[in-house]
Amino acid sequence: MALNRSIDASSEYSFEKEKAIAKGFSQRFQWEMILIGIGQAIIWLTLWPLVINGFVPLWAGFCIATICACFAYLPSHESQHGNYSRGNPKMRWLDSLVGHITLITLISPYEILRVTHMKHHAYTNDPEKDPDYLNAHSGSLFRTIKRSADGSSTGDYAKYLDIFSSDKAFVNSFNNAIPMALILRGALLTLVVLFPLETLLLWWLPAKIGTVYTVVFFSWFPHVGTSKGRYKDTRFWSHWMPRYINHSMQLHFVHHLHPSIGHFDEPKAIETLKPFLVARGVPGADEIPDTITYNPLIKFS
Amino acid sequence: MREIINTMKTLMEIIFNHIENWDKFWFGLIFFGSIFNALAEKSTYLSSMANISLIAFGLGAFIGLVAKYRGEWL
Repeated sequence: MALNRSIDASSEYSFEKEKAIAKGFSQRFQWEMILIGIGQAIIWLTLWPLVINGFVPLWAGFCIATICACFAYLPSHESQHGNYSRGNPKMRWLDSLVGHITLITLISPYEILRVTHMKHHAYTNDPEKDPDYLNAHSGSLFRTIKRSADGSSTGDYAKYLDIFSSDKAFVNSFNNAIPMALILRGALLTLVVLFPLETLLLWWLPAKIGTVYTVVFFSWFPHVGTSKGRYKDTRFWSHWMPRYINHSMQLHFVHHLHPSIGHFDEPKAIETLKPFLVARGVPGADEIPDTITYNPLIKFS
Repeated sequence: MREIINTMKTLMEIIFNHIENWDKFWFGLIFFGSIFNALAEKSTYLSSMANISLIAFGLGAFIGLVAKYRGEWL
């Protein structure tokens, strides 16, 4: 009897059914994310002449640039998963365009982030092969913040060239991105000679803050304390912060299960998939509210 | 022609190796040096000092050198 019930449950919550539901949330064109990515880059770029010519004070420019930097990663993240082109080879240029432009604010080369992120998905929480392993498993939030502020969280990516040396696509994409990394570095070093304090407060420091913000909310909180395995490597978590301030990363686990679900479609997908997630034992799944509205995920304890 | 390409490749390799090994030093010298120099210029006391630019860029280079040998900035 118990065995029959277990078989019923496994067929009711089969992977095929889960995948079919997820596919229903993976079709929509992610126009909001393109607007955020290109929009923040345009605002950030516009700040330079406005600040240099005295129309906007430097401190205000710094605040706006920091907000832009915090918004910069997520649109590139959708690009990394091809969520704008949705498998259409003729639209891949859009993934690349949004990915490159939005990451200028973070002084990061898109292709390196893309290929290392693909490895993060393939080997989540693997100490040897997950390029983001130490972001969530450094031992403390302070160490994770220190690593990302120091540049180690992305600076260490070069060592994965050795680890994945047999993966030619990885190595080629990584090496092809090096000129872009040098151009960004060169631009920063040229601008700092010409406009030292503007470069510090409009680019370098906001990029540092944006990187720390991204690593803390995209890596630390979703993966801390989790183990390896499709349904075990990312968790549902709650926080005192309204979810729109941390890019709804409480819902990041569904992205690891179905990366093609658009970011803004994740709440509805989770509501529909909740029984599957509970049945599969996703960490924290039983605490997912039945309806995910603006701030039902706040937890003060 | 092949010789020129090989020479270019060798030259690029030397440049990349140099950047890889001395990136932190150059970043300290140029980036932090420029910042310290700009901050010093804003201060009436510091800007009146002789060789303040040399001190500012020297401090940036020193921080970069320390980071190079420590392997990390912080």
